[in-house]
Amino acid sequence: MTPPPPAESVAAMIRPASRYSDSKVNRDLLGVMKGASIGYWGLLGLCVLLVHVAGSIWVYQVYKGLGIAGYAHPIFWGAYIVTFVFWVGIAHAGTLISAILFLFRAKWRNAINRSAEAMTVFAVLTAAQFLGIHVGRMWKSYFILPYPNQRGLWVNFKSPLMWDTFAISTYATISIVFLFIGLIPDLAIARDRARGFRKGLYTLLSLGWQGTTNQWKAHNRTVLHLSGLATPLVLSVHSVVSWDFAMAIVPGWHATIFAPYFVAGAIFSGFAMVLTVMIPVRRIFSLEGYITDYHFENMARFILLTSIIVGYAYMAEYWTAWYSGVEAEQSAFWLRAFGPYWISTWVMIICNGVLPQILWFKKARTHVPTLFVLSVLINIGMWFERYVIIITGLSREYDPAVWGTFTISWPELGIVCGSFAFFSMFFLIFLKLFPIIAIAEVKEIVIHERAHAEEGAH
Amino acid sequence: MPRILGIYDLPGKTAAAITQIRARGYTEIITYAPAPFEEVEDAVDPKPSGVRLYTLIGGLAGVITGYAITVWMANNWQMVIGGKPFSSIPPYTIIAFELTILFGGLMTALGFFIKGKMLRFKQHDVYHPRFSAEDFGVVVTCQSRDVPELESLLRAHGAMEVTLVES
Repeated sequence: MTPPPPAESVAAMIRPASRYSDSKVNRDLLGVMKGASIGYWGLLGLCVLLVHVAGSIWVYQVYKGLGIAGYAHPIFWGAYIVTFVFWVGIAHAGTLISAILFLFRAKWRNAINRSAEAMTVFAVLTAAQFLGIHVGRMWKSYFILPYPNQRGLWVNFKSPLMWDTFAISTYATISIVFLFIGLIPDLAIARDRARGFRKGLYTLLSLGWQGTTNQWKAHNRTVLHLSGLATPLVLSVHSVVSWDFAMAIVPGWHATIFAPYFVAGAIFSGFAMVLTVMIPVRRIFSLEGYITDYHFENMARFILLTSIIVGYAYMAEYWTAWYSGVEAEQSAFWLRAFGPYWISTWVMIICNGVLPQILWFKKARTHVPTLFVLSVLINIGMWFERYVIIITGLSREYDPAVWGTFTISWPELGIVCGSFAFFSMFFLIFLKLFPIIAIAEVKEIVIHERAHAEEGAH
Repeated sequence: MPRILGIYDLPGKTAAAITQIRARGYTEIITYAPAPFEEVEDAVDPKPSGVRLYTLIGGLAGVITGYAITVWMANNWQMVIGGKPFSSIPPYTIIAFELTILFGGLMTALGFFIKGKMLRFKQHDVYHPRFSAEDFGVVVTCQSRDVPELESLLRAHGAMEVTLVES
């Protein structure tokens, strides 16, 4: 046995800790939070302005009533519900990347999980607003909650709207918990290097984190369990949203395929939104060393997979309508493709089912401008998918005597634009206050690689 | 009681040092790590974290609450529809499922705060920002007579620095 090296004297050991050099990962990733260009302030200012414009329109709508938003028979679920479903869909990529890829030990998620989790939270918050915007007497919207009241009245738990309330509020809560728990070690990193107001903020939010064994052990287990809980949750949320439609007997809605169809569509649109946001972020903040083309290529593969599922669902819907022999169903689907909303339908089919097929080619998957353009087109296509389902369904029900035509109104347009500004505003603020890439998780990989290199050298 | 702080650059070295120190009978060991490394955590304490118990309790509380409130409310405000029973278990399963996740998730977070000894804002005197850079710290509490032995143990496993924190 090799004898241990001779011990230094105790006196020699009492000395101040030597200077250490900060981690490059810390410097690079905390650097994103420092300073802000005129472009950043301009963009943030524009978002705040649009949110205020949308807010003013909403106040006017509350005063005048939903009539100004074009809510009239037979279409009482207009662009607000279309946009609600759109944002709930966007919210799905965050949990998928964070939870499901974590359970599968897909390490490539580390570069994008934080931004995707943040997007999830902001998208759910944006979606939740539409539930209030959409109801006529929004000051009574708390009626949806089961609370004790003087009438001895309880909510009806057989209603899909109640399921929706529970699913969306659970999803918002768990997404916020997931994001916050994951942020704690990174907030401590920021705390150790911040001054002034930020030091106070990060000290408070990092909750006394020091990276001890107890803390890491509890943190790992917590992330694992939250992932385990969030995985079925993410599948349930959009299933429940789809049942808002599928439980009704409206032609084009009443289909068992709706749950998997909506879940695949949600993941599809969520990944597209992550690409739409992260491609410019990577470019602006020079994060090419952390978010590589490999990450974008993997996301492109997911988009291709979910596009095939969504495309299959589009075809299956038509098949089911034809094979069922139900005239109302057949008529609804004929009108989708060749009726007054044919443009929306073909935008949906081309953007979601056809164009993503270029991702079969590696050249397209690794060409960032192509991915960016495609991701924007997919976002447009997915908004139109919900438009097609909701609007064509409601405007052409069983009795032709009550058919109607929907045109988007200016209040709807203003509030829908405002929702994009609302989402972007939160994301821009997040960029400058919190680490956009999970620093500790990136370090785990960096240190492991260094350990392997050292072992190799020996 | 003196405490000795050893600083390492790699998780393997840290874990090996901790294993050796524990084998020598030292039990009061605190480690600091910049990222999660199972080998270091298992070297200090191989038992799984108790957070799982909180998740289980939260999940069970959620499923019970989900079914209980739906069935009770349906019977407390009875809606007579076509002679059907007031309670309908299949739709209530959705509420029970969502509450299982909600309560389970919130209890898991609570378990993290308790088991991770969070919300203690006063930092340890040995804590250093280098532990949130890329260095690992191992702090061992010992008797004065054991200091030389511990120092050689820490250095034998590749400690970059060894510091006596207090005597």
